[in-house]
Amino acid sequence: MMRVWIKFAKESPMRFLSHLDLLRVWQRAIRRAALPVAYSAGFNPHPKISFASALAVGVTSDGEYLDIQFAKRLDGAAFERLAETLPQGLKLLDWRQIPEATPALMSLVCAAQWRLTLQAEESSHLQEAVQNLLAASSLPVEREGKKGIKTVDIRPLIYGLEVDEKEACLRMRLASGGEAVVRPGEVLKLLSLPAAEGRLHRTELYLASGGCFQEPMAVLLN
Amino acid sequence: MVNYKVKFWDMILPRVQKPTRYLGNEVNAVVKEHSRCSVKVALAFPDLYEVGMSHLGLKILYSLINNHEQWVAERVFMPDTDLEAILRNEAFPLCSLETVTPLADFDLLGFTLQYELSYATILQMLRLGGISLLALSRGEQEPLVVGGGPGAFNPEPLADFFDFFILGDAEEALPQVLLFLEQSRQLSRAEKLFSLSRIAGVYVPSLYIPEFDQHGCFLGTSPLHANLPKQVQRAVVVDLNAAVYPVKFVVPYGGIVHDRLVLELFRGCTRGCRFCQAGIIYRPLRERTPAKLKELARELVRTSGYDELALSSLSSGDYSAIGQLVTELGMELAQEGVALSLPSLRLDSFSSQLAEQVKQVRKSGLTFAPEAGTQRLRDVINKNISEADLISAVTEAFAAGWTGIKLYFMIGLPTETDDDLAGIAALVRKVMSAYKQAGCRGKPRVTVSVSVFVPKAHTPFQWAGLIQRDEILRRQNILRHSLRITGALFKWHGVEPSLLEAALARGGRELSAVISRAAELGCKLDGWDEHFSFENWQQAFRDNGLELAELAARQYSLDDPLPWDHLDSGVTKAFLKKEYGLALAGKVSQDCRENCLGCGMSLLLEGKDGKGACHDARLD
Repeated sequence: MMRVWIKFAKESPMRFLSHLDLLRVWQRAIRRAALPVAYSAGFNPHPKISFASALAVGVTSDGEYLDIQFAKRLDGAAFERLAETLPQGLKLLDWRQIPEATPALMSLVCAAQWRLTLQAEESSHLQEAVQNLLAASSLPVEREGKKGIKTVDIRPLIYGLEVDEKEACLRMRLASGGEAVVRPGEVLKLLSLPAAEGRLHRTELYLASGGCFQEPMAVLLN
Repeated sequence: MVNYKVKFWDMILPRVQKPTRYLGNEVNAVVKEHSRCSVKVALAFPDLYEVGMSHLGLKILYSLINNHEQWVAERVFMPDTDLEAILRNEAFPLCSLETVTPLADFDLLGFTLQYELSYATILQMLRLGGISLLALSRGEQEPLVVGGGPGAFNPEPLADFFDFFILGDAEEALPQVLLFLEQSRQLSRAEKLFSLSRIAGVYVPSLYIPEFDQHGCFLGTSPLHANLPKQVQRAVVVDLNAAVYPVKFVVPYGGIVHDRLVLELFRGCTRGCRFCQAGIIYRPLRERTPAKLKELARELVRTSGYDELALSSLSSGDYSAIGQLVTELGMELAQEGVALSLPSLRLDSFSSQLAEQVKQVRKSGLTFAPEAGTQRLRDVINKNISEADLISAVTEAFAAGWTGIKLYFMIGLPTETDDDLAGIAALVRKVMSAYKQAGCRGKPRVTVSVSVFVPKAHTPFQWAGLIQRDEILRRQNILRHSLRITGALFKWHGVEPSLLEAALARGGRELSAVISRAAELGCKLDGWDEHFSFENWQQAFRDNGLELAELAARQYSLDDPLPWDHLDSGVTKAFLKKEYGLALAGKVSQDCRENCLGCGMSLLLEGKDGKGACHDARLD
């Protein structure tokens, strides 16, 4: 047995894949590379593959993660084979073996880092809008759930927000995990940039470890 | 030069639903530099991606062409309504998937003719591609438009829109066509077509003209020149084992209709069901060897990553070594977590042993096709299975653990009476009680799917007409009442699509104007209920002075010249007549593996690699 976290990029041609499509693409790639995935026990066994965090259709990323349980030990060559058989636009960036008993990666993720490339006309008043947002004591947004509309204060869930004028981009670090989630679109709406969602890019996911944010590939596990 | 790809990906795809079906960069999709290719082919399937990608023929042609270093084939499907609207409104041409190249930039544009209800879609695709609809008005720079598949055996309704058709196995004819095209760039369209007509299997409709007497009665279709054959012969692959097989399936991102690997066991069928066009036009029976099939299966699994492989053919239980193949292949694939499925099984070939083998690999649904409710009518159609066969097969299946099965029937078969309809319900009741006899408790789920028989060209029933609309409704109604049986679910097909299918299936060139008018009225994707408009089709027929219902019900007399008489499937008209006579007399014919019935196929094969008779083409 071998449990592995894989870091990958979902580039432009693959951004249209839904969560389900992406899972199917990985399952087939793993099979092409002849890597034996472990199956769950029970009446309807399913392969032990899961994503760290769903990504909306249309969004690109170079900070996506898979959590896979393999049925046997694999060497580096196996992951090279896997990298080679991925379709254009999916890139295997890194992998690490993790202790079997580690909780599911999905349950550990607590934040996501986002980047929005700015268009010329957008940058002018953005700095001010960002400062106003950060200065606010609360930022109520309305969300439609199964039980109707509810209001959530997202201010404490915005961990970072800055305009990088040199690189003409907006960077956001937002809560992402369990109930504490900020959708990047919600922040863009507050910044009056609703049309920019199609240009969003996720750069990294973070786990909380020792009181600070840690990348999954770097975090200490035991 | 417009960069179509950048514009399509950045400006158009983000606005459509299910963009993944238009990406064209799936695993195993072939992308070639066009400037280095001598012939560029667009393979078009006149339906949505999900349907077209499930079709084996398209994969075969895609491999056949792309395996050749200097030839390139790219795919194109009918866009769904949302993309179609964008293309029309923004005058963006319909493009191939792989390199986003407009259809008009290809040398050859091939359409597969799988079902009549796709014919209007072909015109929509030509229009979206900016290609002249009428073959005769196409310019020298426009692609040659070719059609193939079962519809090519009566392509007359489409004759105006196609430069040529390929009859029979494209594995045989298409390479010859492409070799010729690559060497004849300097020739005019007309010269190319004339030369192409010499290749076996190639039919150039503009070189053949229908003739009429002074009353406008059809007299037959004749070649324009004395040195053209009176009948165009079908192309036949003699050695299927040596033919190209697509071992690298293009792997779609989203789910498609049949999202699995397909392995073709054999082509052709020896059973001789009289309603079945496939049973005629794919003769003779040609099998792949078990060793070859296993080799192909391994390759298919390795290159695709799929976890299901379906063994396919017209009647898979008839494969000579089916038991051995299912056992050995099933075991081998199971080790890799790949399931084997067997979609086309005949009742009489379904043994307890096969039931066990199929069950071990995957317990998918089981479908049996008795086709008719009484022995009398099954004898008429030459479906040589008995009630005892059915009951023993379903008993085996129930005993092996299946709790539900599906039964296929047809109504409107020649000579059908209300007794035959009553026979369907009686048979379903016996299937129900077989469940108890197999030692099972409760009731099985029996889905009874009943379609309307549509007579097809080149079959013994080609002279018969579709029964009238009211009569179809009356018979469906009888079944609706008699099939109120606990556990049975009655499913029927709409009357109107069957009427259209029948009207198009046995028509002549007068229908080109009808299809053209239907496309103008917006007809497309007629196989989908949400798109099918019977009113528009009726209008299209009426605007051309024709009545759809009359054409659907048209009976030909045995002496009538038929619109497809100049096309030779290999099976003679004399044989079809004899079979029709036997049918009306309620007499059966044997499986031709046991006894040659003299259908004419052996003549077509004569002189081909020493294969004098069809059974010889079988691998023992």
